[in-house]
Amino acid sequence: MPEVASDSTAISAAGAGPILSMRGLRTSVSTRDGAVDVVRGVSLDLYPNEVLCLVGESGCGKTITALSIMRLLPTPPVRVRDGQILFRDRDLLGLSDREMRKVRSEEISMIFQDPLTSLDPVFSIGSVMTEVIKTHRDVSRSVAHQMSVDILDAVGIPDPHRRINSYPHELSGGMRQRVMIGMALVLDPEILVADEPTTALDVTVQAQILEQLLEEQRERQMSMLLITHDLAIVASVADRVAVMYAGEIVEEAPVHELFEDPKHPYTQGLLRALPHASIKRDVLVPIPGRVPPPQMMPPGCYFAPRCPDAIELCWDGHPEHFDRDGRTYRCFNSQPFHQR
Amino acid sequence: MRRIASRTVYTVIVLVLSSIAVFYAIRLSGGDALAARLPASATAEQREAFRELIGLNDAIYVQYFDYVGRLVTGDLGNSLTNNASISAMLVEHGRNSLILGVASFFLVFAIGVPLGILASVRRNTWTDGGIMSFSVAAMAVPNFWLALLGVWLFASTLRLLPSAGCCSPRQLVLPAVVLAMEGIALTVRMTRSAMLENLSQDFVRTLRAGGLSELRIVGKHVFRNALVPVISLAGLRIGQIVGYALVVETIFGWPGLGQVLVNAVLRRDYPVAQFFSLVLITVVVLSNWLADIGYTLANPRLRRT
Repeated sequence: MPEVASDSTAISAAGAGPILSMRGLRTSVSTRDGAVDVVRGVSLDLYPNEVLCLVGESGCGKTITALSIMRLLPTPPVRVRDGQILFRDRDLLGLSDREMRKVRSEEISMIFQDPLTSLDPVFSIGSVMTEVIKTHRDVSRSVAHQMSVDILDAVGIPDPHRRINSYPHELSGGMRQRVMIGMALVLDPEILVADEPTTALDVTVQAQILEQLLEEQRERQMSMLLITHDLAIVASVADRVAVMYAGEIVEEAPVHELFEDPKHPYTQGLLRALPHASIKRDVLVPIPGRVPPPQMMPPGCYFAPRCPDAIELCWDGHPEHFDRDGRTYRCFNSQPFHQR
Repeated sequence: MRRIASRTVYTVIVLVLSSIAVFYAIRLSGGDALAARLPASATAEQREAFRELIGLNDAIYVQYFDYVGRLVTGDLGNSLTNNASISAMLVEHGRNSLILGVASFFLVFAIGVPLGILASVRRNTWTDGGIMSFSVAAMAVPNFWLALLGVWLFASTLRLLPSAGCCSPRQLVLPAVVLAMEGIALTVRMTRSAMLENLSQDFVRTLRAGGLSELRIVGKHVFRNALVPVISLAGLRIGQIVGYALVVETIFGWPGLGQVLVNAVLRRDYPVAQFFSLVLITVVVLSNWLADIGYTLANPRLRRT
């Protein structure tokens, strides 16, 4: 089913530096038995005008990474323990609350998984959008209202003049997610962080919302960090992919390289677990076992207990990021990919 | 709109049913209605003649329809004990009760809601602990005991406030606070838990992602969401105030409807007792109806269904 987007123009023009750069990000949850890291030294670059997909199973730290960027972690118990998040040479983690509020939605926006619970139920969508605009821009009510109508129109809400007075419960799931997108884009941010934006929607609506997101990304030339567990989505929208496992990035590659020649056994396992139109297979192959709980990580490679190719070394040493033959992944014993 | 209409129909049904219940209950409660009205020297024949005259010998349902018939024409009748006009009593005592009730109702929300918000914003701190302990204590102490404590402390010992009487502002303070206390306690808890519940909702994260300040998010959005259950229980607070007014008015010698009703029941003054019972029931039922409308207006999810 997933056909790798053939026109994906890998990484942006050579020379352009990343717009957002995470360096050694560590985020921990405090529990009764002390702090446990759920994001373990993530370093990841987002380049201008690209779609970077962050994939992995639920619980691997994708959402926590995204919330760390936005500084929207539920603190306590979750907080960033170490690392940097550089945006235009400023470390977001060092900004004051007031400065961070200016960054949110003006420069970096975020949309969430469940559009029903993510919208304030007792205010009309227009009144919240107007409020967001007026928080950042010194404009009159009517200008803010017009901006809201325009963006709703742009993200495909029919009859936006009327719809702007609707309450969230009066809209369908797809419409609500369009409203979320509109609210996130109304101030024309440079980065959109989308956390599983289509997971809560019907399959037919999913494609429309993705299409809308891509269209906006291209038109506005913004960068998008799309978090998903769905490799079919990755194949259709990503320029570049980062695979996350147990709080770490285990492989990073342009999308076609990742699908054609996955290096890390976890990535290979994910691809084998995926229905594939061009390869007839009787059974899908699940990855055996589960992600170990964060306080019980093995000392060596975190994936070793589930890995078909694990060797002695994998149990003792923890693999760092290797750059080999132009590919980046964390594995001591990468084997050529076979569909089984 | 349909919701409001259906609530209105229910309200009318409740009023009719409770008027019947009150009418029967008072007549079935025993005691001699005429003891206070006729001199002790009156003969059995004279008593019987008087009973016949005022219709006490008719079947109860006949008496009921008679009564309702006169009620709708505006004839409230007179007291059996002193022949005082019930409509005059309603005006005078009703005014006193209204002063006390409105003051208490105001205190319930003016004190309860801000304390609840404070406790939620400072949750798990000493402030929160203090407010919640106060609220538990205020719910646990019965109002008659609180009234006596209040009189002892503020009237007898500190001599700050009068212990009883009506109707100066200084005389109003103690009964109004005592009457409001349980409502305050419940409102504090309601507000706190509704605030906390809404603070952890996803929409709060969306608003934060929109760059709104914490003050705006909590003060406007979370507060408005938390208000929905608080408003919906405002009607219950009125009911509580009306019920406790019987006790508090009697203790503080506040000449309101509660005091009149208690005296009338003790003397088996049927017309007074049943009329003022009905008045209190009507107040409670109407306040619930109003609360329902308030709830519908505060909650857009119900507005157009």
